[in-house]
Amino acid sequence: MTTTFEKLKAGDAIDGPTFAVSRESIRLFCDASLDYNPLHLDDEYMKGNFGKTSFGGIIMHGMNNFGLISRMITDWAYPAGAIHRRLETRWVKPVRPGDTIQPSGIIKAKQVTEKSRWVMIDVVVKNQAGEKVATGEALVEFPRDLFCQ
Amino acid sequence: MAEMQAFETDFWKDANLRKVWDDIVPGEPRKTIPYTLTREAIELYCRSVGETNPIYFDEAYAKTTRYGGLIAPPSIHILLMFSCTPVDDWMRSPGTVNAGQSWSYNIPARPNDVITLQARALDKFIKRERLFVVHDNVFFNQKGNVICSGRGWTIRPM
Repeated sequence: MTTTFEKLKAGDAIDGPTFAVSRESIRLFCDASLDYNPLHLDDEYMKGNFGKTSFGGIIMHGMNNFGLISRMITDWAYPAGAIHRRLETRWVKPVRPGDTIQPSGIIKAKQVTEKSRWVMIDVVVKNQAGEKVATGEALVEFPRDLFCQ
Repeated sequence: MAEMQAFETDFWKDANLRKVWDDIVPGEPRKTIPYTLTREAIELYCRSVGETNPIYFDEAYAKTTRYGGLIAPPSIHILLMFSCTPVDDWMRSPGTVNAGQSWSYNIPARPNDVITLQARALDKFIKRERLFVVHDNVFFNQKGNVICSGRGWTIRPM
């Protein structure tokens, strides 16, 4: 069913894709993003402390969460002719090899402005234990000149 | 051309050239380099996050969409942040921890766009004994149009 601005209401849910995190997926993200920070590569280095933070082993890039949330939003928006306009995220828990994560969203509010229509979405990424690893909010525009695909 | 040089994947190399928290001046522009975004780079990024939408891969399909051709996913700025900055940029300092980011999207990046970045530290502060830097960034295409703009919070290595 195609999403329309008119039909959307607060509380509607968006399910994102599950994503299995592995050393290989983290390495692939290094190659794709060019972010080769040893946080994501070097187990020996990660045994140390980082100021006030200790991780104990390599962790997934926080921006991998961001990319997954963005994928969820665009996969939801494109078929409706809508446009992903903004995403804000905070990382709340490290993600490690062996974790499975999944983004999801809840429609928070709709707003009509002088020239367009907007949907605000609360987003979260949870791991296999149901723990939040990232939270944030997204903004999607539903232009009046809808171009549905 | 700087953009044609092989990307240095060892972030320890040249680490001594990078600014530490004390050196970073909020408001001072960061050095940046233009980058030509290739279809291959877009496809590799898509693979890393499981993107399958044909608008990123299938030119014939993409021509039927509002964009009229292939585009990159909005989150391609994740790649652009590193491809548009030189080896001595402090975002590469080993141990840099990303605390969160916010991005606004104007128009999509496309294959063969020559992308430039205007970037700076915007703020720095200490919170719970951690050293934070706020950075802000705007990516432009070769026509001078804004692709996206964003702000990030990093915890600096100590």
